[in-house]
Amino acid sequence: MKTHHVQVGTVSRELPIVEVAPGVSVALFNMLGDTEVTEAAGKALAQLIPADVDILVTPEVKALSLAHVISRESGKPYIVIRKTQKPYMVDPVVREVVSITTGKPQTLVLDGFDVDKIRGHKVAIVDDVVSSGGTLHSISQIIQEVGGEVAAVIAVFTEGQERPEVTALGHLPLFT
Amino acid sequence: MTVGAVSRDLPTVRVGSTGRVPLVEFIGDPEFTNAVAAEMVALIPAGTDMLLSVVTNALPLVHELSDRSGIPYVVVRKKRRTYMQDPLIVDVPSMTMGVAETLWLDGPHAARLKGKQVTVVQDVIASGGTAQALARLTERAGGTVNGFLAAFKQGETSLPLHFLQELPKRI
Repeated sequence: MKTHHVQVGTVSRELPIVEVAPGVSVALFNMLGDTEVTEAAGKALAQLIPADVDILVTPEVKALSLAHVISRESGKPYIVIRKTQKPYMVDPVVREVVSITTGKPQTLVLDGFDVDKIRGHKVAIVDDVVSSGGTLHSISQIIQEVGGEVAAVIAVFTEGQERPEVTALGHLPLFT
Repeated sequence: MTVGAVSRDLPTVRVGSTGRVPLVEFIGDPEFTNAVAAEMVALIPAGTDMLLSVVTNALPLVHELSDRSGIPYVVVRKKRRTYMQDPLIVDVPSMTMGVAETLWLDGPHAARLKGKQVTVVQDVIASGGTAQALARLTERAGGTVNGFLAAFKQGETSLPLHFLQELPKRI
């Protein structure tokens, strides 16, 4: 299998190159189940969060443990935006957002309990990989709707095009 | 509820018409997650060389357990992802949602369980249905189930379960 070499702090990995659409392959980066990479990336990214950020917001699922580590290291709280509504949520904010990548509607759910933690606060969005920016766009939208300000975007890698608005530890190419 | 030096008032959620159950959240609570992991790490059964868990609430907890114990972990998903290769699939009847769920273990992750002593880790184990499904996945992946570990036991299960504290089943 072809692989792509990446370095996260002192940890290196060979990412498998996987075809995701005809003629387009990506280096597959999955932090779930990789404790070492999650710790290394989380500790490095915690240093890069602007001091005036109040709260971290992350989409489920793959970046969840990363957000936990950044939160633990920086002392800034984190909340998770879910992709399905849960029966225990209180007055959830549910938004159908059309993905700018796939054109398909995507549901984002913010527990009503978390709205006050965002409203009037500076937010850093945390994700594992920012590629097309589709998820980022949708999450920014819901944060702004409930009155928060997106002050930073933090990711382990950007992918495809360079994204100056994203603070990342590295960049992944697309393989075509 | 108090674990180590950390206390939390757990919210409760109505289940059907029979009453309310307490709800434990690790997501968004690193302080509580760390306190629970610090005590749970001593309960990991001897001989464990891999932890197996399932999305979503247990993720920060299993990460901390792995970091503290040095034992790697694998996560099972509840949805098929496009990048999965030859995933192993099992169905599990869910008590919380009242509908069957399907668990997906990506092929390369299944390969990490082969020949390993695997401990199933969850945040809460109630009937044990999900834990048994994780055990089936372990065996199909060629691993051996070394034990079941949960932060909280809620109600009765026939599984030989290591756990920190018991939660009331109904309030």
